[in-house]
Amino acid sequence: MARLELEPTIGELLDRQGVSRRSFFKYCTAMASLLALPPLAARAMAEQLLAARRPSVIYLSFQECTGCLESLTRSFAPTIENLIFNVVSLDYDDTLMAAAGAQAEQAREQAMRANYGKYLLVVDGAVPTGDGGVYHCAAGRTGLDILATCAKGAAAIVCVGTCASFGGLPSADPNPTDARAISTLVPGKPVVNVSGCPPIPEVIAGTLLQYVTSGRVPDLDEHLRPTVFFGNSIHDRCYRRPFYDQGKFAKTFDDAGARNGWCLYELGCKGPTTYNACATVKWNNAVSFPIQSGHPCLGCAEPDFWDHGSFYSPIPSPRWGKAGEVSPAQAGAIAAGAAVAGAAIGVGSVLLGRRRIARRQQEPKSQSDKGNEE
Amino acid sequence: MSTLAQIPVCVEPVTVSHGEATVGGGIGAILTEIAERLERLARTGEPGAIDLRSLPISPADRAQLLQALGTGEVDARVQANGESRIRETAVHGVWWTQHRDLDGALLASLIEIARIPDILIVGADDLLRGASRLRASLSFPSAAQGESPHGTT
Repeated sequence: MARLELEPTIGELLDRQGVSRRSFFKYCTAMASLLALPPLAARAMAEQLLAARRPSVIYLSFQECTGCLESLTRSFAPTIENLIFNVVSLDYDDTLMAAAGAQAEQAREQAMRANYGKYLLVVDGAVPTGDGGVYHCAAGRTGLDILATCAKGAAAIVCVGTCASFGGLPSADPNPTDARAISTLVPGKPVVNVSGCPPIPEVIAGTLLQYVTSGRVPDLDEHLRPTVFFGNSIHDRCYRRPFYDQGKFAKTFDDAGARNGWCLYELGCKGPTTYNACATVKWNNAVSFPIQSGHPCLGCAEPDFWDHGSFYSPIPSPRWGKAGEVSPAQAGAIAAGAAVAGAAIGVGSVLLGRRRIARRQQEPKSQSDKGNEE
Repeated sequence: MSTLAQIPVCVEPVTVSHGEATVGGGIGAILTEIAERLERLARTGEPGAIDLRSLPISPADRAQLLQALGTGEVDARVQANGESRIRETAVHGVWWTQHRDLDGALLASLIEIARIPDILIVGADDLLRGASRLRASLSFPSAAQGESPHGTT
């Protein structure tokens, strides 16, 4: 059966399920906190969501390890049950759905027909394009073909994980299957990248919720990532930042500096060039994040993170230029000793952040506003 | 090279002096913001809120903040898909709200500056829904009963 025109609003659905307004308000307060919205925005969000209708979601998986879906289904707040059953209508996900084979494909085709031009396409994994795309086939079709078919009628595409966003591990040197990012294969479609290996579950959920609430693609950075989650570097929000500013660095794992919780920059931390919400949203229900556990950030939310040399070498100065057009002169004498380098990169990081914000403000409305009016 | 056990561990807190007391870097700023929002609430009626989870403050700083605000007269618990606890602090109009899920995990932690926090207020829709539910449960015989499509029994 095709979805009826008069699909109930989320408010009506919740009412039928006996979910009280207070419960939903609570859920919105938690989401507003995640989305870094002013806390009082929860009420407006609740009102908008209660009046909205659930969008149909088609979830496709290509070259990936299912870690992103594992991350999403281990989302604590809101729970995946809330997300899936209350806010979106997940009509196709070949990993989660009960149907398989021809029945599953039929469900996808039905949902696409019934919601043509309106459904949200969520993609997990890169798509191999080498040799006609033969390195990924499902139901007798290549990934390239499936993506093209499903992207055609989508209102927007959300790429979950670094593989879908930037090619990730499948496209790491020497990229034997010629794996590519989704945004390079769907010209003209609004794309949102939720990068990370895997992305933080609350960030995936928050991005989807933001779309449902506003009915449009959120504000994006130059890598098409929602600025609300990817607007700050890990370094800028890191609780170890004061040690960095004081020039106090751990030199090896388990030295006195490491035990005292000093900055991990010299142990290879990619926090200064990595934009993600790990330092604020954290992981496992806000228990911790890698740096808090004593390990440097790997930079997994950035393009080509796998090919940027050792995870345990400090960021080389040329990367600063590449990452954000901050010249060594602006960033200071990066190589002039650990403490000096620390302070210089601190300046560089602030400059990067300001430039990103300034550029966003100057640019005419980005891709977020194109082709997605409903 | 010393062994792990021989390396002394001393955590260095980041502090600033705030009046005579020494408080964590952000705490003084938060208290100032709360005072400013209280004045705005009194002046314009506009409520405010500060999301404690989004602030890069340590658990020790958070405890210090709550200690500075003290304990007030109201302590409300809401059972709505997990417990929410809304406590007024010793500063009237400043509430410490914590929302938890069914497993007790913390979903949100806020300092609210309001006469009454939003979650305790009943929405207009809920009032009407409550009224219609009550009316539906009442079965007063009415003049129109004989003409009811359901007939009489």
